[in-house]
Amino acid sequence: MLARSILTLALLTAGPSPAQTAAPTLPGSPAAAVSEIYRSVVRIEAAVQMPDYSTPWNSGRFTGGIGTGFVIGKNQFLTNAHVVSNSSRLLITVHGSPRKYPARVKFIAHDCDLALLEVEDFSDFEKFPVFSIGDVPSLESQVRVIGYPIGGERLSVTRGVVSRIDFSSYSHSRADSHLIVQIDAAINPGNSGGPVVQDGKVVGVAFQGLRQADNTGYIIPTPVVRRFLKDIEDGRYDHYVDLGVATFPLFNPAMRRALKLPDNGLGVLVTNVTPTGACDGILKPGDVLVSIDGFPIDSAGQILLAGEKVDLNEVVERKFAGDTVALRWQSAGTWNDRDVALKTLHPSRMYAIQYEKKPRYTVFAGLVFQPLDTNLFATIKLDDVNVRRLYSDFVPKGIFTEREDIVLLTRVESDPVNSQLSGFTGLAVDKINGTLVKSLKHAHELLNPATPPDFFVIELFGAARPVIIAGNAVAAANERVGKTYDIQKLSNLEE
Amino acid sequence: MRPLLIFPFLILAACERHEAVVATPAPAEPAVTAPAPDPAATLASVIRISTTQQAWNEGQPWEKQPPGKRRSLGAIVAPGQVLTTAEMAADVTYIELESPDGKQLAPAKVIAVDFEANLALLGLESESDAKFFDGTKPLEMAVPPKLGDTLDIVQVEENGTPLVTPGSLLSIDVVSNFLPGQFFLTYEVKASMQSAANSFSLPVLHDGKLAGLLTSYDSKDQISDVTASDIVARFIKEAADGEYAGFPSLGISISRTDDSNFRAWLKLPEDGGGLYVSTLKVGGAAEKAGLKKGDVIVTIDGHPIDRLGYFEDAHYGRLYWSHLVRGAKSAGDTVKLDLLRDGQPTTVEAVLDRRDEQDQLVPAYTFGKAPSYLVKGGLVFQELTRPLLEGFGEEWSSRAPLNLLDVYENPQKYESRGRRIVFLAGVIATPATVGYEPLRNLIVTKVNGKDVKDMKSLIEAFAQPGADGMDQIEFDEEKFSVHLDEAASDAVDAQLKQRGLSRLSRAEN
Repeated sequence: MLARSILTLALLTAGPSPAQTAAPTLPGSPAAAVSEIYRSVVRIEAAVQMPDYSTPWNSGRFTGGIGTGFVIGKNQFLTNAHVVSNSSRLLITVHGSPRKYPARVKFIAHDCDLALLEVEDFSDFEKFPVFSIGDVPSLESQVRVIGYPIGGERLSVTRGVVSRIDFSSYSHSRADSHLIVQIDAAINPGNSGGPVVQDGKVVGVAFQGLRQADNTGYIIPTPVVRRFLKDIEDGRYDHYVDLGVATFPLFNPAMRRALKLPDNGLGVLVTNVTPTGACDGILKPGDVLVSIDGFPIDSAGQILLAGEKVDLNEVVERKFAGDTVALRWQSAGTWNDRDVALKTLHPSRMYAIQYEKKPRYTVFAGLVFQPLDTNLFATIKLDDVNVRRLYSDFVPKGIFTEREDIVLLTRVESDPVNSQLSGFTGLAVDKINGTLVKSLKHAHELLNPATPPDFFVIELFGAARPVIIAGNAVAAANERVGKTYDIQKLSNLEE
Repeated sequence: MRPLLIFPFLILAACERHEAVVATPAPAEPAVTAPAPDPAATLASVIRISTTQQAWNEGQPWEKQPPGKRRSLGAIVAPGQVLTTAEMAADVTYIELESPDGKQLAPAKVIAVDFEANLALLGLESESDAKFFDGTKPLEMAVPPKLGDTLDIVQVEENGTPLVTPGSLLSIDVVSNFLPGQFFLTYEVKASMQSAANSFSLPVLHDGKLAGLLTSYDSKDQISDVTASDIVARFIKEAADGEYAGFPSLGISISRTDDSNFRAWLKLPEDGGGLYVSTLKVGGAAEKAGLKKGDVIVTIDGHPIDRLGYFEDAHYGRLYWSHLVRGAKSAGDTVKLDLLRDGQPTTVEAVLDRRDEQDQLVPAYTFGKAPSYLVKGGLVFQELTRPLLEGFGEEWSSRAPLNLLDVYENPQKYESRGRRIVFLAGVIATPATVGYEPLRNLIVTKVNGKDVKDMKSLIEAFAQPGADGMDQIEFDEEKFSVHLDEAASDAVDAQLKQRGLSRLSRAEN
């Protein structure tokens, strides 16, 4: 898997960052800067608090990292989302100055790994040059990567050639794919968020590398950057929109004949339509999609956009919630045209790593319940077949329409009332006292009724028997567990 | 019998190997052990066995894997009959018996084999070799030993010298020694053995009589697993007539009742025992007898079952309940169960049976059976079996495709569909499969509109393509179908045969 081997390039340093040193004077021009524009490339120090999904009531680990950012407007510093994710303190330094400016995140987009920062006082930066945003660099053209990577304290510049333009995965969220440009310049931890420059303009943001290959760096190209900047114009980030359609290529001559398609190399087969998604009720499996916004879709699902073959989703990529996309498709021999309104598919966040969120949980008589998400999957070993199926079917099969959360029994904190229950960890909750569990909040309510029943009966998917807790034993058990395991809050239902 | 259905689900059963029974202290007085048998005399009762084994290649089912060889020491249990482990008879292509002195050789055949109990009975391939057994002396069955008794493990060195290692019977337990989840009464014997010409598949004697069959030896702990004489005796008795039925099963999975909250909810008395019935095998003995999920089994044939699932055996002491079914009974026998249903006592009688593994939706083992498959225009279809799932590597239970694992874990959801689950295992790149290369591990539901119930029905369905000369293949959980041009696929099939696929289909019953 490509996504697995990609590493994001924020440099993580252990331990707290050094304290801020107050140095009032700012040099008029950095002593060693070759080019004036280099002044506007800043070093970002992030102090980070990583949430702890395995013991969600704990504070989590304190750590920190270094990345790069650059000025793109008045009090606007662009960088990668992964440089500033989960940050508790951000400091910006400029080349050749010891002064550290406290900064904060104004907008952050984890799905495309971009963030916009602002400093408390921009006055020192007023005279700095501002980077303007260019186009997608052409293949084989030369670019410069500017940043503060490992190997020294000062600004670093490397050169490289654009070696590939592709639609590929962004490792920060683990779930998103967008346009990506591969260059052969050495991009190293700390380069993250730095500008990639050609002819004095920014043509990308350095953001990830590849572990098993040398001289491959990936940059976020400007269409993605522009989309982010446009999205936040209204004061908030709305996420990418999604067509909610899975497709299968139509190369096979027999397949084309069966679908009564001409042998013209066009069209892809719709294999799944996400319930509640943009195309729900419009497209259906078995339909053949032939064009999107007037661009013919080839039988591999690609379109020709500005001279480049790109995935048909690239059209959707550049749009926003509420925008429409014109689809043309064949359904059971008839042709259809329709403008489809796009929307964000929030349940698909199930598959993305979440940031700036407090882990949700509820503790009941020592049993710890948590909602299933990718953060949890990345933290604890979940190998039960039922859990893995609920996870993979959550969006494609529309399980989210019935259950907002998949609630898991993740831990059993030993207590006399639950001493025989440790074998049930890692399983998903189906019902509590006969009621289907729809969300963690719902589970919490079912487990904490005004008057406790004689028995709490918790049915788990794939368990040999129900989990039983005597109703009159819960209050005392909760108190014991809270005290013994130092759980200050027995539940957190809000992110 | 599917392994998981006989015993508690593994998540609960922290007992792939149940608690060893060491509660009863070994007899204080050193057991009045009979003098060790004369090693030379044992030579008349043992036979060397060499087998050649060759399994099918699960990934490319039209061919076999490279063959392998195994050796063991068998016990002569009746005139012309040799007992060994079923491992020796798995996927066997040739068996040869050899006298301990190496002077005589004779080809042999399998008279009866039980892969679950890991026992096999061999006989001569040809009557004309009958003199091979001249001068041999069949072993009698020993009286079941007790904890602390000394058992003698028999080996024969390469040069024909007998080697008898005494060992002490440490514990008696119900464990699985060959196939996972198949639990049988087993002795654990502590003895320091050397490796001597044979694999560790050896006769074990007590007072010069056959007390069991050694199936594995752990050189680190110096502990051997020995299939108990009760199991061996029952196997020999049932196999002798050539129509072996096998050890029966009840067809339930259970959960223990040691959790006091669970007991209170089930309205079980504080001081009693009981086994909670978690799942019933459809068509199994328990289901036929009217057992229901949620019943609590209190006694089996009058033996009270404790909350961990053990009963008090008159001879051996505490044993796991399954021995009352698998060890003490034959197929066709009746077992009487006292139950608590919603707290009310009731009694059922179940007629035990042994279901052929080949009748299972997903067979747990397929020794000697050629895999069923179809190669059609480059699409490779197979029937789902556990050995096939194991082909996904050591971590198969987490790495195999989820849809296939789901069938294996929850067969009751799929049983109504047919005899077997047929799936598209993969695609050989051919002109007919252009664009289909990413398809794999998809369960096939229909071909040309006909339900697919097993490989035979799949092959029949492909024989009737649509009027347009096209085949249509539909998959479980996928809402689109794949098409094959019959003419193109025939051309490809002819080429595949030229490329060395010996045959393009096999449909075994």
